[in-house]
Amino acid sequence: MASYDAIIIGGGHNGLTSAAYLAKAGKKVLVLERRHVLGGAAVTEEIYPGFKYSVCSYVVSLLRPEVIRDLELPKYDLEIIPLDSTFTPMPNGDHLFRSGDHAQTRREIARHSVTDAEAYEHYGQLMAQMALAVKPMLGMIPPEPTTWNPKDLFGLAKVGSHFRDLGDKLVYGLTKLMTMSSADFLDEWFDTDVLKATMSASGIIGTFMGPRSPGTAYVLLHHYMGELDGAFRSWGFARGGTGAISNAIASAARHFGAEIRTEVSVDQVTIKNGRATGVVLSSGEEIHAKVVVSSVDPKRTFLKMIDSQHLDAPFLKQVQDFKIRGSSAKVNLSLDALPNFTSMPGKGPHLGGAISISPSLDYIERAYDDAKYGDFSRRPYMDIILPSRLDPSMAPPGKHVMSIFVQYAPYHLANGTWPEKREALGDTVIDTLSEYAPNMKDIILHRQVVTPWDLEQEFGLTEGNIFQGELTLDQLFFLRPVPGWAKYRTPIKNLYMCGACTHPGGGVMAASGRLAALEILKSS
Amino acid sequence: MSNYDAIIIGAGHNGLTTAAYLAKAGKKVLVLERRVAIGGSAATEEIFPGFKFATVAHLASGFAGEVSADLDLKKHGLELLPIDPLLFAPQLNGAPLAIWHDAAKAVEAISRHSKSDASKYPAFCARLKTIAGFLRTIYGLALPDKANPGEFNPMELLKVGLKFHGLGDKEGYEFLRILPMSIADLLHEWFENDLLKASLAASSMLGSFVGPRQQGTAFNLLHHQIGASNGALRSAGLVRGGIGNLTAALARAAEQQGAVIRTGAEVAQVVTKQSAASAVVLANGEEIAAGCVISSADVKRTFLKLVEPTYLDPHFLLQVQNIRARGTVAKINLALDALPKFKQQESPSQLGGIVYIGPTLDYLERAADDAKYGRYSKQPFMEITMPSVSDPSLAPAGKHVMSVWMQSAPYHLRESNWNDQRDALGDTVVNLIDDYAPGFKNSILHRQVLTPLDLEQTYNLTGGHPDHAEMALDQIFFMRPVPGWSRYRTPIDHLYLCGSGTHPGGGVTGLPGYYAAKHVLKDLKQKKS
Repeated sequence: MASYDAIIIGGGHNGLTSAAYLAKAGKKVLVLERRHVLGGAAVTEEIYPGFKYSVCSYVVSLLRPEVIRDLELPKYDLEIIPLDSTFTPMPNGDHLFRSGDHAQTRREIARHSVTDAEAYEHYGQLMAQMALAVKPMLGMIPPEPTTWNPKDLFGLAKVGSHFRDLGDKLVYGLTKLMTMSSADFLDEWFDTDVLKATMSASGIIGTFMGPRSPGTAYVLLHHYMGELDGAFRSWGFARGGTGAISNAIASAARHFGAEIRTEVSVDQVTIKNGRATGVVLSSGEEIHAKVVVSSVDPKRTFLKMIDSQHLDAPFLKQVQDFKIRGSSAKVNLSLDALPNFTSMPGKGPHLGGAISISPSLDYIERAYDDAKYGDFSRRPYMDIILPSRLDPSMAPPGKHVMSIFVQYAPYHLANGTWPEKREALGDTVIDTLSEYAPNMKDIILHRQVVTPWDLEQEFGLTEGNIFQGELTLDQLFFLRPVPGWAKYRTPIKNLYMCGACTHPGGGVMAASGRLAALEILKSS
Repeated sequence: MSNYDAIIIGAGHNGLTTAAYLAKAGKKVLVLERRVAIGGSAATEEIFPGFKFATVAHLASGFAGEVSADLDLKKHGLELLPIDPLLFAPQLNGAPLAIWHDAAKAVEAISRHSKSDASKYPAFCARLKTIAGFLRTIYGLALPDKANPGEFNPMELLKVGLKFHGLGDKEGYEFLRILPMSIADLLHEWFENDLLKASLAASSMLGSFVGPRQQGTAFNLLHHQIGASNGALRSAGLVRGGIGNLTAALARAAEQQGAVIRTGAEVAQVVTKQSAASAVVLANGEEIAAGCVISSADVKRTFLKLVEPTYLDPHFLLQVQNIRARGTVAKINLALDALPKFKQQESPSQLGGIVYIGPTLDYLERAADDAKYGRYSKQPFMEITMPSVSDPSLAPAGKHVMSVWMQSAPYHLRESNWNDQRDALGDTVVNLIDDYAPGFKNSILHRQVLTPLDLEQTYNLTGGHPDHAEMALDQIFFMRPVPGWSRYRTPIDHLYLCGSGTHPGGGVTGLPGYYAAKHVLKDLKQKKS
């Protein structure tokens, strides 16, 4: 029987990152992926011949620079194409178009409100400062606040003194960001509804909250935290789709000696005397390892792969209470031609960045209201990109692919099931989009609708939550995934977690995978 | 010319608390109240002959025990009446839920709705009691306040740290985790019955512009637990003779120590000399000098109306303007010929406590949705008391007074104004109660409707917000009233704040007034030495 130093459950980008770091440290590592492709939710698939979709995750901004560096990802063909504009069409035929060109953006905002254009500068400066202030937290293993362990106390003191050194303005600003709703936060700065709506949208992505829900302001910061090639505030698209990132990490892992197997499903983690000893595959095959690292979410890990007799009741209750409600869907389209927007006709630069269907705060809030009561939004918020405009290899010549992130689509429907409602959601998305780009219906060749239920079935994301657990204050930092177990460890010895359910959470960051590997290496 | 050591603007319960403490410490104190009666929003008023109403606030939720003891309020006539049942929640169809003060009785009542919930209820109450107890402890600590550098005391931090560790691992984590949660999420972890969940969620929303699914609402629940906790519900008490007797007792305590209280004396301006407050000018032009001025009015009113803005740093002014104080409650006071009889109500004694209309979490959420879009809810959540059940002196023999807090009535109406909608709002409330208690409408003798606009105009609550400023996570602790000024001082020397807009915030707790007095006294002592 084969034996390894570490088995990683799941070949998503975090699992692969852990594997690469462990292999780099000389460990004998095996990655087990259930699907036929690597990447988990960071995957590129050719669903229709010639058309390549970033099926789930579609943009990258927070990928940790130390991971890119440590694993030498550019050597494995990782190339990020900047995605620096946001185009918001409006129902009245107007639009808001913010681009990478600073002066142009300023003029554009001034067209809507002169004072907002002025405020936008100050806002950007403050947010960039705050993003810098928060960044160290993303690369740190959370200390435990309730113990007397000197290491943890030292860690807490470090966090404390970090914030003290920031000075009043940033500390108060950060406190507001962590606790306010994005709508309230933006209200303090701006007047223009469409600007506030589009900005606030970044605060609600992947959450089950609306722009007026407290706790959504924090994610506004993410837009200023992206760091690609040292340039701040940039979003990007990986050449070849998001899967290219996973593939690059996988190549690095293999280079360091990790073994990766696809189409092998882990049924169970074997446990002896309270210690994880390996896994059993669905084929019945048993594989031993000194440590087992799960990159899947805690519900799947502890409620499905582990016999409950190995866990105490309070911990199980914590896992059950972990909030993981999915709220978003994805629609991927193959297009015969480019969409033509009424408010900005033709093939302008607006098609080379993000297209945001977020005309007003009320629009997004109403979309959320629908979801609260168990229905998908009648008029959803959508974040759209046209990858083939950035990387022509994504579609056959002259044709295009469109990636549409749709919110809200709650996992739990009050009426009906997702297999029944899947196409209705697709129709709603196309209908909504047609109101802004009337030629939409004529140019669609293929349509793939990925509901929260599909995210769960196909990608193993419980309840279809793209962050493996909601990013709310009660589930962040030393509370993530559950209080007392924020250091990638679990009540079962030699069993670790390394997915987005751990600190610092979701997005294609690879931070969880890296920090978990560092923690594992500490104790071996 | 300076006769007084301190002038206090406003004779609400916080202003009077501050006055009493200062007077007790030997200071010469003058309290100036704009209205003809003292009490502010904690007043008893005989609006209709023979019927005495707690016009605005109707419950002394967690009034601080130490204030009561320090000022000997019992001697001055304060009598708190325990509330029983803690809550009574009727339904349109189905049996009501009554939670009694007695734990065993409460468990029995809940078990009629859910056996599993009943079995968890005592543990839930115990958990909340521990956590709210810790919250109360940290309320009393001096907050880090960078506006007054040099005052940061590492001992304070160590004290908090020790207390926090005293909670133990589990409770410590629970405190950190629960504080920012939504009340709906917290209750889902414990209970299954919607009526119970909605009833427990109610107090976490009252007065705030929120629905039960918004983060931070669990904090509001905890805030209502401070003081003598009655288990899982707000630590509420009625006051014999109406809530005005609480402020009356405070006033007597202050006067006995030599404080002077003048009513009908509206402060129009705080006079500043060399960036220090030196006097106030009344609406009639009279100027009164004092060593310091302490405003119990809300923060916006104090700085945007009473102080000459040229004396203030624009950044500070902006912070004050940004305080969220969007009122969302209306108050309806009714004189009744007879008590209502709710569907499947068992006895009139069930109405002796708090009655909640808001049978499901979705109901509460939908009501809050209406307010979001600038209209008042047609199916609002309501907190109702009928204090004459336990205190017959409040109404003529056999008759009753009813006090209704109606939630989700936003100060800003998008498509109308409150002067046009006042009566429609009253009708909505009365009709809705009638749905739950058929025949109720016929028992109404008189009706007073106070919209958020009325709360602003009559009681000077900016935006009609009863807590002066929203109790939200970004407006509490060291962020209250504005970041950097959590120790009751202001950018103007000798000008202090002591109202609900300051730490630790809203409710009839006396705590802002008490803590403010402590800080003022400390400053006065330093000045002397």
